[in-house]
Amino acid sequence: MDTHAALEVTGLAHTYGDGPNAVPALAGVDLSFARGTFTAVMGPSGSGKSTFLNCAAGLERPTAGRVVVDGRDVTDDDEDARTRLRRERLGFVFQGFHLLPYLTAEQNVGLPLRLAGRRSDRTRVRELLARVGLGDRAHHLPTALSGGQQQRVAIARALVTAPAVLLADEPTGALDTTTAHEVLALLRDSVDTLGQTIVMVTHDPVAAAYADSVVFLVDGRVAGRMDRPTADAVAGQLAHLDQLTRVAS
Amino acid sequence: MTSLAWASLRHRATAFTATFVSVLLGAALIGAFATLAQTGMGDVSADDAETLRIMGIVVGSWGSAIVLFSVASTLGITVRQRAEEIGLLRVVGATPRQARRLVLAEAAAVTGLGAVLGALLAWPAGLVLLALLRNGGMVSGTVEYAGGPAALAVTVALVVLTGLVAAAVTARRSTTGPATLAIAEAASGTARMRWWRVLLGLLLIGYGVAMAVVTITVTAHDSDPYASMSTSGSSCILVAVGLATLSPVLLRWLSSACAPAVGRTGVVGWLAAYNTSRRSHLLGAVLAPVIVLTSGAVGVLMLVGIDHRTIGAGHPEGRTINLLNNLITGMMVVFAAVVVVNAFAAVVAGRRAELQRLRLLGATPSQVERSVLAEAAIVAGIGVLLGLLASLATVVPFAVARDEGPVPDGQLWLPVVVVVAATGLTLLSARSAVRRLGPLTGAVR
Repeated sequence: MDTHAALEVTGLAHTYGDGPNAVPALAGVDLSFARGTFTAVMGPSGSGKSTFLNCAAGLERPTAGRVVVDGRDVTDDDEDARTRLRRERLGFVFQGFHLLPYLTAEQNVGLPLRLAGRRSDRTRVRELLARVGLGDRAHHLPTALSGGQQQRVAIARALVTAPAVLLADEPTGALDTTTAHEVLALLRDSVDTLGQTIVMVTHDPVAAAYADSVVFLVDGRVAGRMDRPTADAVAGQLAHLDQLTRVAS
Repeated sequence: MTSLAWASLRHRATAFTATFVSVLLGAALIGAFATLAQTGMGDVSADDAETLRIMGIVVGSWGSAIVLFSVASTLGITVRQRAEEIGLLRVVGATPRQARRLVLAEAAAVTGLGAVLGALLAWPAGLVLLALLRNGGMVSGTVEYAGGPAALAVTVALVVLTGLVAAAVTARRSTTGPATLAIAEAASGTARMRWWRVLLGLLLIGYGVAMAVVTITVTAHDSDPYASMSTSGSSCILVAVGLATLSPVLLRWLSSACAPAVGRTGVVGWLAAYNTSRRSHLLGAVLAPVIVLTSGAVGVLMLVGIDHRTIGAGHPEGRTINLLNNLITGMMVVFAAVVVVNAFAAVVAGRRAELQRLRLLGATPSQVERSVLAEAAIVAGIGVLLGLLASLATVVPFAVARDEGPVPDGQLWLPVVVVVAATGLTLLSARSAVRRLGPLTGAVR
């Protein structure tokens, strides 16, 4: 059995703009995410967590460093290869759900398969919809679904290709506490039962507590790590990070 | 409110440029013919006054109807695509009335500016038009151009008023109901058409068909050979504008019908089929001018052809009438073409976020572009089909009236040419609209 990580970044750096206006968003990040783990990436605004996710997803090209997805270095891939990477090896869950408004729940879930030129596997799509508790909503358009339901459709869609990594960007940012709990429990469940690897950017200590471990970013660098996090411990650490950044700036 | 309106205009430059161009051209066209009508009211002989009045009023009012319809539909797209923002404004405390005033202020700014500049273009255009008429011997050489502020002011008022009415109707729809942020994506094609729109569409179609029937049963037997033309000539446009009025619902039905077949061609066609049928109210605004363009070009040009073959070539009155007909058609076709391009630009500009989402999920740039092109192909296909159907309302009765039978004796190549041209135009405008978006990469939340 090969033992490489699902996602690995080394020396990852990204700078916005150049010359005197250059803003470093990431300044050398080394992280490895083992298969079947659920990691939360946290940090204050401007700590580089979104840039990290965008670089990992191939949406932005890092200024320096490597990105290795499922044992394959994808850093120098061209746009086409990145596109294939996104639809075949990565799954996305966003704060804004990002469902296509004119496709039903079932069609949205099957979309990544179709984009990859495969047939939409009806059994698998149905199974995933049932898994996220929306078996009876397969033919609804997104407008007929609540925010929590839309996010659950997005999770089913992210899982449909059995991606190497599921990247989640503030997946509960637009949801109320109860709905957020349902969504996080689903993510947790996909790790426990499907062995899915998840990397989730969040600012919410409660959300982070669903993960196996939390990585803290400050000013584009890894500033700490916490295993088996609880909401209280994460909140305490975050307050501490805030002080660190204030001293730094 | 005004500064907010200007800020919002700048923010949505593409969509509003589309409206602006429609308004500008529309005002230039209506204005040019209005100056002719004004010239005709001046110190000219009775015959010249008659010709100029017919030119100015008949051609001008047909042009106006088409122009106003297009301005209304282009403006409608830009207003409707802002449902989310209007929702946001209302959530932060704008009353429905304030939100509507914002939309109206923007519409007033765009149509006002476009109409005034268009009217300024109309003045020299009217001059050129009159020179053409004089050279063609249709009015005497002594007629002096008398287009002036009155004609242009009426034009500006007419265009701005239509723009405002169109904006008010759309804005009212997006501000009724409770304030919510969730309406943006509610923009799926389930919104029902208003009863008065359905009624208007049916009345126009009914009127056009009735005129066609009158042509065959009554005016075909009239001693004046041009009586049958005056009853059948406008039928194709009436029916086409009627169908265009109903375009969102027609697009929904027809594209749903062909969705399963198109969907089997692959993911690109599949996406396009569902987008056209489930969001028909947006692409309906592109379908409308395609129908009018096809029907007008085929209907009127074949009418002129039939007349030429039967009696028109040797008939003095025929020359004037056919020049008029060609003018109307040329004007209408150019205008409808501009509207197709503009409407596509406005629709696609409003879909940037959604197309970017497709890229994010793993669609290649080519898949995104091809899916928009496939939508254009569906719209063009349905548009030329309905347009050809509408053109029959003129071609068949007039051919019967001139004893050629239901199928005209010549020019059967014309519909083919028009279909190819209209389809090509629709596809090209889709391609330029999607290319104008630039690369759809980068972070999205």
